[in-house]
Amino acid sequence: MELCDLYALELVRLVRNRETSAVEIVKSCLERISQVDGASGSLENPQITDKDKESVHAFISLTDDAALKQAVEVDRRLAAGEDAGVLAGVPFTVKDIFCVKDTFSTAASKILANFKAPYTATPVKRMQDAGAIMLGKVNLDEFTYGSSNESSAFQPSPRNPWNTSRVPGGSSGGSTASVAAGEAPLSLGTDTAGSIRQPAAFCGVVGVKPTYGRVSRYGLIAFASSLDCPGPVARSVKDAAAMLQVIAGADEHDATAAPLPAPDYLEGIDDGVKGMRIGLSPDYFRITYPDPASGELLSQPLPPEIERAVRDAAEKLAANGAEIIEDVPMPNTRFGIPAYFVISRVEAASNLHRYDGVKFGLRSEVPTLDLKEMYKFTRNQGFGLQPKLRILMGMYVSAAQYSEQYYRRALQVRTLMRRDFEEIFEPNGKYHLDALLTPTTPTTAFEMAAVYGDSVLMQYADQLTVPANHAGVPGISLPAGLDKDGLPIGIQLLGADYAEKTLFRVARAYEMITETEEWRKVKPEVLRGRS
Amino acid sequence: MTDYEAIIGLETHIQLNTITKVFCSCKADSWFDPPNTNICPVCCGLPGVLPVLNKAVVEKGLLLAHAMNAEIRPISFFDRKNYFYPDLPKGYQVSQFDQSLARGGYLDLPVPASASPEKQAYTRRVTIWKLHIEEDAGKTKVGNKRRFIDFNRCGVPLVEMVTGPDLRTADEAAQYLMRLRQLLRWLGISEADMEKAHLRCDANVSIRVKGDTRLNPKTEIKNVNSIDAVREAIAREIERQIREVEAGRRIEAWTLEWDEDSGTLKKMRSKETEADYRYFREPDLLPIRLNDEWKQQILADFPELPLARRTRFVEQYNLPEYDADILTSERKLSDYYENTVKAYGGDPKKVSNWLMNDVLRMINEQELNPEEMKLTPTSLAEILKLVDAGTININTGKGLLQKVQESGRAPGEIVAQEGLGLVSDDSAIRAVCEEVLAESPNEVASYKAGKVTLIGWFVGGVMKKMRGKADAALARKILEELLH
Repeated sequence: MELCDLYALELVRLVRNRETSAVEIVKSCLERISQVDGASGSLENPQITDKDKESVHAFISLTDDAALKQAVEVDRRLAAGEDAGVLAGVPFTVKDIFCVKDTFSTAASKILANFKAPYTATPVKRMQDAGAIMLGKVNLDEFTYGSSNESSAFQPSPRNPWNTSRVPGGSSGGSTASVAAGEAPLSLGTDTAGSIRQPAAFCGVVGVKPTYGRVSRYGLIAFASSLDCPGPVARSVKDAAAMLQVIAGADEHDATAAPLPAPDYLEGIDDGVKGMRIGLSPDYFRITYPDPASGELLSQPLPPEIERAVRDAAEKLAANGAEIIEDVPMPNTRFGIPAYFVISRVEAASNLHRYDGVKFGLRSEVPTLDLKEMYKFTRNQGFGLQPKLRILMGMYVSAAQYSEQYYRRALQVRTLMRRDFEEIFEPNGKYHLDALLTPTTPTTAFEMAAVYGDSVLMQYADQLTVPANHAGVPGISLPAGLDKDGLPIGIQLLGADYAEKTLFRVARAYEMITETEEWRKVKPEVLRGRS
Repeated sequence: MTDYEAIIGLETHIQLNTITKVFCSCKADSWFDPPNTNICPVCCGLPGVLPVLNKAVVEKGLLLAHAMNAEIRPISFFDRKNYFYPDLPKGYQVSQFDQSLARGGYLDLPVPASASPEKQAYTRRVTIWKLHIEEDAGKTKVGNKRRFIDFNRCGVPLVEMVTGPDLRTADEAAQYLMRLRQLLRWLGISEADMEKAHLRCDANVSIRVKGDTRLNPKTEIKNVNSIDAVREAIAREIERQIREVEAGRRIEAWTLEWDEDSGTLKKMRSKETEADYRYFREPDLLPIRLNDEWKQQILADFPELPLARRTRFVEQYNLPEYDADILTSERKLSDYYENTVKAYGGDPKKVSNWLMNDVLRMINEQELNPEEMKLTPTSLAEILKLVDAGTININTGKGLLQKVQESGRAPGEIVAQEGLGLVSDDSAIRAVCEEVLAESPNEVASYKAGKVTLIGWFVGGVMKKMRGKADAALARKILEELLH
């Protein structure tokens, strides 16, 4: 075990007890990065070599000098007996969709490749104030628009540490890959339709999408403002809880951040699930998707391995005192993706207006004196395929003559999906669940290039995660075994508004129950053969 | 000849006088500041920033809505108005669309005889169609094939207020703006200076044959930055439209620009179709929830409005409308007037005369704030009482105004110390009268020969010798007696 493979809370303990130093930890992480990460993503778009195909490529920019400097400061504080923060000495990576002062904040897009933010996003600042040390900015789908990381303008795009021919998922694929590969114990991601939970499932780590408004969005480059949630990626439930503790809470810079203090997430986290009511829904054991030829919606069951992992988890929780409630209806789940297609695109198109070449980021060098031409050249050169598709669709469905038919309807569907959750979590309702247990994804990590290019099918990878974004409720994905190809399977727990603490407790219970299982001993491919 | 009437609606943008901008803590007013000095990541729309609502904007907007008799929505929403322009940094303007702060409303506009074609005063009800909060965009200057953008104005809070097509003459439009400006200052929510673009106005103008009920295509006049210019531009446009129609041509829905220097309208563009701003709810802001408690708190000190006070002054103090209008032109002045009337207890018209003739001139010439003058309503009332009692004459009283304003001392004290009181001692005046007559034998002879009008000249002589402090009536009586 190297320092970089330890849990964040273990590192905190070691640093506090002066058994190691922040500098040693950072060096260990940097060493790991140099061993497994390979070339960082860049706009150069070089030919992918065979060696590249075996590396993780989580990073866009490594801020190693700043990290070492901060580590020295943490060590100095501890030596001086000063308060160094609750996460003192813990390295973390940041999805490159967050602004961090004086670092490149690219959104994995050519249009922002040269943009250095003049301010730091609230969640990043809170991590730094708690003594955590940022190692650098990690890759993502361009502007977070994707579920595989392949759409990044910064290539090579990240690969799955469990099998580098597979995608890490997305859009927080750089975050989950960096945590899975031991490059950092924690990462800050964002989840708009499943962008933390889906790659967490693919990479065998813990990913949390908090309640909408639980974590400030200030400094998060917006995708769909009404759905975006910053959240933690970690290797253990406790680490994720500790990280959420640090980043959660009201923010004077974000009117939509809830003015509600975060409870102590670690308190009682080991108390188990005795007496808790956990639901299973048939609507989460099938997926609905449009037939590419006819456009008809087809429905089919999930791969048996995935359903089995969820049912197996339910049985284990039941054996430890939880009450499992079957057949919980979530009838509007299947509308999640179509509604998301509309709502997220309308917001995205508007959020992308500011990238016009006027003030920051790329401006086309094609000489023109015509303003509209400058806009066109800049946006055409700067945006990749995904932003362009989303702008087109967003413009279309919000146009005056269509918005009633699409946007308004999608908002109505969203209300219905919210009602599904309200009914199952209502304390005086029929189900009064503590949590809903579901698969995180319809499949395990797919082959690179297998889905990329089919934007519709790619989106359906989020089918089981997007309802929580529509409803605003919290969700957590945690590893629950490996499939026949040795790829991680993720299970998801969904809860009522601000019920993160409950979800952590259930997730931690599952983690404790399965602690000694064989699959937990298996390491990601890129780490095999290490002592 | 066909009789036409004009149909005019005004679209106003009112810059609220908050200290900070609507969604960030940058200074709101940049009139005296160099370009791009009051800016931050939020108002410049940098990636990742979010707006946070300045509550003072809601409060000031609410005051205006209440004054316009509008219905306040308990919940209102912000929306994004999407369009591309270099001085609109986010590519959308945060505004309010279908569920804005207030709904409906009206202003009963008094139109004075001087602004009426029939030379008779009347009242015009102007309805309010739209009243919402929004953020301002920046300013673009185009020059030498380059654009220069000043982002200072981005995020400055505005209220957009649009009237129905209720105004009928250019004079009415000007009256409306004057009353709006008066109201905004009265409420203390905007400096309302059109030259500084605190108050901006676009006018929609169409004409129709009198008696018609249909609305014809209208033109929109932009870039007018004084009330006189609005009046002038509308009058010109009405004339033009009548000329066009008389010549058998159609009026097209143009946007016109007023050129201040030449006093002419220029066509900016034709409006073929309405732009699609793809409005949708601003997801970065919560709805404005105006619960009763907050509303009551904001409206707790809601003042009597200028037009109501003007009517009351006429009724309660028996003032001519002219006086009432001037005395209610500004809230502090009208408070000053009323406080003086109360302290004085005499004829309110007399107070009005002193105020309008002398005190107002002092205020205007020396740019004084009525609320902070050393010549307080109590001092002014005291001066009036001294004159009434014959302790001083009117001229001395008027001289006292400036003395009190400069020194802050009580009028009675100044009169005593400087010996300004009238001399009414018979023997003292008699001695001077004798002196004057002795020095003017020729005039005495003329008087005795029948030129009795010379009595005024003799009184003048006495006053001159006594430096104005003599009781003139007494002096006259003594002189007449001596000359008898």
